[in-house]
Parts: sequence; structure tokens; C-alpha cells
Amino acid sequence: MKIELVNRPGNTAAKVTLAAGETCTAEAGAMIAMSGHMNITTTTHKKGAGGIFKAAKRMLSGESFFLNHFDPKDKEGELWLGSSLAGDMLALTLDNENLIVQSGSFLASEESVDMDMGWQGFKSLLSGESMFWLNLKGRGQVVLSSFGAIYPIEVDGDYIVDTGHIVAFNETLDFTITKAGSSWLQSFLGGEGLVCKFSGKGTVWCQSHNANSFGHALTPKLRKA
Amino acid sequence: MHTTYNVVITGKLAAGADKTAAINAFGALFKLSPEKSQSVFNKAPVAVKSNTDKTTAEKFYRAISKTGLECRVVDATAGDTPAVSQGQKDTPASSPAAPAATTDNDTPVTFKGFSYKIEGRPDYSFLTVEIPANETLKVEASAMATMDTHLVMKTKLKGGFGRFLTGESLFLNEFSAANGAAEIGIAPGTPGDLVHQHLDGQTLFLQNSAFVAATMDVNLDTKWQGMLKGFFSGESFFLIRASGKGDLWFNSYGAIIEIDVEDDYVVDTSNIVAFTEGLEYEITKVGGYKSLFLSGEGFVCRFKGKGKVWIQTRNAQAFTSWAHFFRPVKSKK
Repeated sequence: MKIELVNRPGNTAAKVTLAAGETCTAEAGAMIAMSGHMNITTTTHKKGAGGIFKAAKRMLSGESFFLNHFDPKDKEGELWLGSSLAGDMLALTLDNENLIVQSGSFLASEESVDMDMGWQGFKSLLSGESMFWLNLKGRGQVVLSSFGAIYPIEVDGDYIVDTGHIVAFNETLDFTITKAGSSWLQSFLGGEGLVCKFSGKGTVWCQSHNANSFGHALTPKLRKA
Repeated sequence: MHTTYNVVITGKLAAGADKTAAINAFGALFKLSPEKSQSVFNKAPVAVKSNTDKTTAEKFYRAISKTGLECRVVDATAGDTPAVSQGQKDTPASSPAAPAATTDNDTPVTFKGFSYKIEGRPDYSFLTVEIPANETLKVEASAMATMDTHLVMKTKLKGGFGRFLTGESLFLNEFSAANGAAEIGIAPGTPGDLVHQHLDGQTLFLQNSAFVAATMDVNLDTKWQGMLKGFFSGESFFLIRASGKGDLWFNSYGAIIEIDVEDDYVVDTSNIVAFTEGLEYEITKVGGYKSLFLSGEGFVCRFKGKGKVWIQTRNAQAFTSWAHFFRPVKSKK
């Protein structure tokens, strides 16, 4: 599986080239275009290991209920993937490590990568962002999407990131949800609300914009539901 | 004796111009890749157009100067003493005529029609077109952002009732440079890329909102996609058919990716920007019925044959359904 990101960082699309026999799993609705002979199957979970329970968990995590699996059958094929919000993408290769991804940032992965919903406990519930995170593990390539640009932060010790700006982080990091200011009142009035405090050693990938803030900025301009 | 002129890039920048931006703009002007235009720039001083008449040379000069690259018009018959002498002592004496030959081979300069530039590619493209005296440009209604005061605007009902049904505005604005050459700045409605095509008898189909501008000899009409195709695609019932001769500009939401279809290719219906005539297309479902309803892809367009398809990286429908979540809730009385 070969991944090429084009038109970065504003209007990124991922071109995935699959050799015969390879399979790429992508978020439902992410396909823009593909070779005519590409085969598509929709399942609730990892191909061949469907589990309605896992799918239900994924739906709760803000990810779509279904995943699409693309395979080019017996000859090479290409697949273009895009995201609904403008922004950058990130291609990572996992080598038997665990990556925790903010739900909604997952775009695609190689078949060998296993996906599970990570329950981060009630502390995530408090964060006001998505309650769940996706836990990707195994070996293989992963593509993540973001709203705005992506920048990595190497954490060695402590670091604080606003919950809405996290794309993904290494599982080696421990995190707690906390307040940004010295008092709760100050934190809320300051508009920062809750933040994520990471500790340990690892990388956190952040996005330059917060989709929730953008959405709320649009609210007064949208017709009432 | 008939005097001919060379247009030479000096390898310097106009005052205040950004090098990368200027090179990219230059590349956009001549439809070169950034690498290619960089290499042309590195070879400077180099003639980008040789042995041409004065009017054409001046046209080139104006267009290139706008990109931010410094250029000058040199009398080609004046022998091989290039007029690019100042500040060139460190460069080995190279006559612009010699590299001109190589450039012409490497990079066929296909400069036809109106001169124009596209800035802010690919995220926030903005089009500026130079309308020569007594010429007219057709522009999508409400897309004009800036223009010279002596341009005359006429609103025309184009394409008849059909265009009303495409969801494309019923009106096209025609800007005529009746009192001498003029410049117009055009900003498409969606942030994204812009593509220029010079039609010479070919026909292109545009998705209904992709049209930006065209010269007068480009015919625009609408094509009924057939009840089924239009209905299931969730898009409009019509495509815009552009044919004839002249310049055509179209835009996208998000960046544009050009795909050469050799055999067959599948594109999500809401990501199609344009495609060449001759491609067969049909609206189908992806995979089985399970995929149809659950894959999130819905219906796709399957292109068959040989041709070109332009697709966009973003999808307006996906964005609006994302925004839908943030709609204010109607308060109960």
C-alpha cells in the first residue's frame, strides 16, 4: 500500500495505490474516486471479523458505524480519499505500537492494523469533546485527517493541549483532563474550558483549528433545525 | 526589414515580489509545474518567446511582469548582445537566443487567447483576466470582484430556461472592453482551485456550479442528464456543455486533481468538476446493496473510455451535513 498526500495542507487528498491482493480500510464516505475495477465491501468492523458490538462501540465514538474495504482484485488500483473539512492529513506507519486517535480524525488504514475503541474512562466524558478515542494497533500504515494544519509535539515531561486540538498521540503518554487556569471559574471564563495534560514521553499530533469552535461560530448563521 | 522581438526573463524579481509566488504565478501563466518553472527561472536570462511581433511581445511582457518576475522585450534582430546586461557580470555571457531554443523544446509555450493569472492556488484561487480592446468576456453572475472602470457590463439571459433549471444562475454577465483593454478580477463562490482550458473544437462537460468565465466563442449550453442519472446522483439534472473555440475557466471546492481515464474510473458524484466529451458515464452504486446504503458513498459515476476527468478534493454536501449538526435548535413557544 503506497500513500501519497497531495495539495497539502489546505485541501489535502490521499492517493492510495494498492497492489493486487492488498486491502485498504477507510472511513465511510471518504472515497472521492477510484479505479473502475476496485472492489468495495462494507462491513461493521475489520474485514472478516465482523462484530456488531464493536461497530456499535465505534458509532458511539463518533466514527461512522461502517467501514469500507477497498481491494483491487487481481491488478493494481488506485483510490483517492478526502475529508469533509478543509485541512491536512498525516500518514504514519505503526510498528507494533499503539496509537490513540481522536474519533473523527481516522481516515484509512492498512488491513493489518487493528482498530478498537478505547474507553478512556469518565475523564473523557468531562472533556466536552468526543467521549471516545480509537485505539489503533499492530503493524502498518495509517492515514489521519485534521481540521487545519497538523503539527507534532514531542512531549518529554508534561504538556497541555486543548482537548479540541488533539489529533492523535502515542499510547506511551498518560493523560489527565484538567483545567487550564488556576481556578475553575477562570478556566471557563477564559474560554479554554478543559484541557488535556499529557505526561511521559511520546508524540502528540495537534490540529491548528478546533472543529467544534468553527461549528459554533456558524450556528447563528444557519437556519433553525 | 521586419523587426522581431524576444521576450526575456532576466532572472530577477520585480520590486517587492516574493520569489516562490512569482515563480508559481509564472508557472500558472504558462501551465508549467512549479519544478519546471523553477528550472526555467534558474536558466535565466532566457527568452520565453522569440521572434515575435511587437504587439505579442508586449502582451507577454505585461503578463509576465504581473507575475512578479522581471522581464524585458529585446530586439531580436539587434544581434546577440542581450539587453539584459546590467547586473549580469557574474553570469557567463550567454545570449538569450541560445537557451531560448532549449526552452522552446522543453516547455512548449502555449500562450493563446486572453492573458490571465490565477493567484492563491490551490486553496483560494482568484482569477484576473486582461480583456483586450473590443473583446468581451462571459462571467458567472456575481463572480466579479474587481474591474477597471471602463468595462461595460451587460447582463444576458444565456442558454434559455435550461440554465435556470440547472441551479446555475439564469444570467451571465458580459464584460466588454469597448473603450480599450481592461482588467477584471473574478472570485468564484467556493474556496478552491481554478483551471484554465483553451478549447479548440473540443467539448467539456462541467458540473453545474463549476463555470467561472469564458470568451465569447465558447458556447455554453445545458445537457439533460436523463431523469435517472440526475435523480439518483443527488446532484443537478444538468451538466453544462462548453464547446467551441476560446478560453474557459472553471473552479472547484477544494483542490483539483486531474485524472486521465484509460479504461474505467469511478468518481463520487459530488466530487466531479468536469470531464471531456467522449467519456461514457453512468450513475451506479458501489458494491452491493449493502454498500449502497451503508458505505456512505451512495451513488457514484462510472466513467468509461479514454479522456480526462477533473475531480475536487472537497465535497460541499459533506460539509453542509457536518454543519447541520451545529444548526440552532428552534425554541418552543
